[in-house]
Amino acid sequence: MLGNRIGVISCSGEECLGGTISRLAVRKMMEELKPGMVSTLCLPLFIAGDGGEREFAEKYPTIAVDGCSKCCAKRAIEKYSSAVAGSIDVAEIIGEAKALEKPLSTRYITDLHMEYVNQTAAKTCEIFDEILAKQ
Amino acid sequence: MSKIKIVPCSGIGKVFGLLARESVLMVTEEKCPDECETLCLAHVVTGDDEVVGKINGENCITMDGCAKYCAKKSVEETGGIVVKSHKVPDYIKAHRGEEHGTGTYLTDDGWKYAEELAEIMVEDIKEIKAGVN
Repeated sequence: MLGNRIGVISCSGEECLGGTISRLAVRKMMEELKPGMVSTLCLPLFIAGDGGEREFAEKYPTIAVDGCSKCCAKRAIEKYSSAVAGSIDVAEIIGEAKALEKPLSTRYITDLHMEYVNQTAAKTCEIFDEILAKQ
Repeated sequence: MSKIKIVPCSGIGKVFGLLARESVLMVTEEKCPDECETLCLAHVVTGDDEVVGKINGENCITMDGCAKYCAKKSVEETGGIVVKSHKVPDYIKAHRGEEHGTGTYLTDDGWKYAEELAEIMVEDIKEIKAGVN
């Protein structure tokens, strides 16, 4: 999935709702909003450093989509590659308390959760389009 | 005694990452919430003091989606004791020909497979508890 020239890394955190939202927002970008235009990078593989992900993020603009204010994805990109081209903190979109609610299986996703996903994906797309316009 | 930590890879590109994630959530949220808990792999890999404190020297189970074993390696590097390590494709043989979904959603067969993976981890928890007590 490294053929396109704008990368997106989701934290996909397992401890809170924000992680589920970040993951689904990036999947929505891949499948619906920017099909064929997004290179998704696995955060654990990125940090392990053996899949070409770090080199990708050094060369090409990469957006971090984090589920909470720990911003693990953003910090990882900055530590191992270079400055992020943009970052999203789901907690800033849906509120810190909501983002830190219990993790959620996709079986229990409601319309309200999907609205959070849509908002997060839309914000990420705004950054994506700004980057694309500069290229 | 502290809870057993169960960490999936949650890889985003393929269905195996979602199977790992959903099977672990079944165990930590529904099947054995009093015996185990999950940790954010994204946080684990940052090596923050906070997460190292939670995992260092603790019994852990990992569920990886591919042979890169990101969850297992990251937990070990952070000081966790990986008592049981699994990889989603290890149990696929009995499910050949089934469609399990994508990185976004699971099909009915995908959910059945996730349930099977969850039960494997439930047995792990029983074994670990029996060994410790």
